[in-house]
Amino acid sequence: MSAFSAIDEDREIDPEEYTPGIEPQATWCPGCGDFSVLKALKQAMPEVGRTPEEVLTVTGIGCSSKLNSYFESYGFHSIHGRSLPIARAAKLANPDLEVIAAGGDGDGYGIGGNHFIHTARENHDMTYIVFNNEIFGLTKGQTSPTSPKGHKSKTQPHGSAKDPIRPLSLGLTAGASYVARTAATNPNQAAEILAEAIEHDGFAHVDFLTQCPTWNKDAKSYVPYTDVQESDEFDFDVTDRKEAAEMMYEVESKLYEGEVLTGRFYVDEDRPSYTEEKQATGEMPEEPLAEKYFDEDSEWKRSYDLLEHHT
Amino acid sequence: MENDLNWAIGGEAGDGIDSTGKIFARALSRAGRHVFTSKDFASRIRGGYTAYKVRTAVDRVESVVDRLDILIALTERTIDENLDELRTGSVIIYDGEQTTMQDVEIPEDMIGLEVPLTDLAEGAGGAIMRNVVALGAACEVADFPVEYLDEALVKRFGEKGEAIVANNREAARLGRDYVHEETDCTSQFSLETTDEDYVLLNGDEAIGMAAIAAGCRFYAGYPITPATDIMEYLTGRIEAFGGAVVQAEDELSAINMALGAARAGARAMTGTSGPGIDLMSETFGLVATSETPLVIANVMRSGPSTGMPTKQEQGDLNAMLYGGHGEIPRFVLAPTTIGECFDRTVEAFNLAEKYQIPVYLTADLSMAVTEQTYPPERFDMDAVEIDRGKVVEGDAVDEWLDEKDRFRAHAATEDGVSPRALPGTPEAAHMTTGLEHDELGRRTEEEDVRVEQVQKRQRKVETAREREDFDYRAFGDSDAETLVLSWGSNEGAMREALEILDERGIDVRFLSVPYIYPRPDLTEEVQAAKTVIVVECNATGQFADLIEHDTLTRVERVTKYTGVRFMADELAEEIESAIAGQRAPPEVKR
Repeated sequence: MSAFSAIDEDREIDPEEYTPGIEPQATWCPGCGDFSVLKALKQAMPEVGRTPEEVLTVTGIGCSSKLNSYFESYGFHSIHGRSLPIARAAKLANPDLEVIAAGGDGDGYGIGGNHFIHTARENHDMTYIVFNNEIFGLTKGQTSPTSPKGHKSKTQPHGSAKDPIRPLSLGLTAGASYVARTAATNPNQAAEILAEAIEHDGFAHVDFLTQCPTWNKDAKSYVPYTDVQESDEFDFDVTDRKEAAEMMYEVESKLYEGEVLTGRFYVDEDRPSYTEEKQATGEMPEEPLAEKYFDEDSEWKRSYDLLEHHT
Repeated sequence: MENDLNWAIGGEAGDGIDSTGKIFARALSRAGRHVFTSKDFASRIRGGYTAYKVRTAVDRVESVVDRLDILIALTERTIDENLDELRTGSVIIYDGEQTTMQDVEIPEDMIGLEVPLTDLAEGAGGAIMRNVVALGAACEVADFPVEYLDEALVKRFGEKGEAIVANNREAARLGRDYVHEETDCTSQFSLETTDEDYVLLNGDEAIGMAAIAAGCRFYAGYPITPATDIMEYLTGRIEAFGGAVVQAEDELSAINMALGAARAGARAMTGTSGPGIDLMSETFGLVATSETPLVIANVMRSGPSTGMPTKQEQGDLNAMLYGGHGEIPRFVLAPTTIGECFDRTVEAFNLAEKYQIPVYLTADLSMAVTEQTYPPERFDMDAVEIDRGKVVEGDAVDEWLDEKDRFRAHAATEDGVSPRALPGTPEAAHMTTGLEHDELGRRTEEEDVRVEQVQKRQRKVETAREREDFDYRAFGDSDAETLVLSWGSNEGAMREALEILDERGIDVRFLSVPYIYPRPDLTEEVQAAKTVIVVECNATGQFADLIEHDTLTRVERVTKYTGVRFMADELAEEIESAIAGQRAPPEVKR
């Protein structure tokens, strides 16, 4: 039997199937925004029509990276900053898997920043959820790449001297073909955006604002928020790169002025994924790289032609 | 062994030295002669000094010697760099009409052979072919039929069209004819040809070829000398077998990508050299803790830091054995010849999957980037077996579910090896983490579970010790009082050193060890010897430390860290001095 047979089963999926047997209760602090990501993801998955066995979730290190401990799937909790290269290569090896990477803002925009840029640039067909709480939570409240300028912490007692990372703009510039921001306080929008991101063919980057009630009380709870697609105040074309870039800049600036703007900011349905690009040049086989390993009857191809090169 | 010929072409980087040398090496291989090549090269694109050296004989050659018979010198510096190796009667081919070569002084006892290389090349269609003119001239000096160059020229220039190939053939003949007709240089050599048809390849290529044969379908890498050849070899070849090569943004990404592909079920590999190993150490522990099969090729170069990127060293043994924080179970395989690179690579993939463990596969620069001839049957593709270990699917999954139907991905089995279910497998979804975990992959800090999992992972190494054949190869006189041990590419030079020592009446037993961890227990062999000498290319004697540790016996260290491999004659001297207890530190040339 092929292990790939788990994939393409057609049936109704209950969000509760995504509650794992090993650790059903999350250990995040009461009021933590991370609960909302978990809930939104559980809601999104039945929409997408995937069973837990078809999903590979790869996380880094941090409170948020515990996501897959509380979410039934093939979960891989890796090391700080490295979820993206693991996730994207798993997708290359078995494109039939639904691959979701997740982690915090320190994980994705700090220590893993280079991988974020290059994974977006290569436009792998996968989803990346960044739990953005503007703080290092698990290590108890140090300044993170998205902490506002002037943010005081034990490591920056006189206030951060750095302008924060602009995550949406960075995702766009690097090459992500779907960029959105949602907030823990907006569960319906969050579930919709995650479902869209997962179904998007290409690298989907979701900056998910998750309040940290324990270590980042300044950031409050990201309320009130505005969905830019629902508001008459904003009118821009999400498929237009320049308009998207301007909108993102405004959204990122406003966040630090206390105005929470969420929604879809950039969508490019036409950009080929890395796999498609490589297949077009013959550098990536049509069959999954891992397929041989699932098919016991397949014969290992050997060729003495390899030696011909050396004669 | 004077029935060998030592030949070299040298010039500046960018002069086409490498490809010209390779044409000659290929031609000799085609002519049924054994070839062993070496390179003097620097980490620069243009200028400096670079040389490609060929040693050839009818019998197998597996080392270099301190002697040059024919030298094609495109620059004056090439002659200076090789003065130590040139002998009475050595022939130096150069273009005396070239402005930079007009004042060249050829030492009196040597034969300076002036050939108007550029002039003749222009006659054949272009100055760019001057190296091929020189090849033709060298063929005449060596009494080697220039026709053997023809096929090698097709291999090199075939893609550029028939006219280019024809011009190059003409250029070679013009070089030959010039020496024959216009000079009084008569050949003192005669290169016998045979009916054998060899293959010529380097260690990186042998590793790449073996990886494909062993079912590797994913390679992630970041360019680094001298490991890039593996990546370049696989690119454009592995695709036909259903695989792919990706170039990552850095070595951190490369190893994590290989890890991701391995988890998804593809046999995966990454490759790098010292500086990349430093970065990869971060993920190394995760590979081991998550029990993911992974092969990491480390083509060693001179360190630390950026060190000497194009120079030989065996300095990473400790980094591979001990690299990474915490205690990480691992295997370290170190093939000792280019041919063995093929065997150990295949083995590395099987060990990785059978024991779900990271495997270091290491070659040193000397072996990785220099070529050697082998009979093609040395590389038996049909004999390659693929053992994927305990991968479970279908009903086999049920055996590994606990009472709540949860998959026991890290079950503490008797042999330490757990079942492995690839993502996509029904009924076996589970967590995996770099944190300490229980058998379900659930993070834990419970003392008994921690102990159980540490022991379980370590037990895989013990199981491998029992089940696998981690042995050495023995050469020389098995009753000798002197025992020489070495690892990596020193084997070839050491085997020839044995012959030299034998001629001097010195009996030596030589063990070449391709397994660093787990490694064979050499206690009996060491204790039976009067003098034990460990040969390696590093300053401190890292392998010697291991042998002393294992056998509780002091050993003599013959080390070399100049950036150049051991030569057979040099090694024979060193061994002789070590036996006499008179080994001096390496001489520094000023």
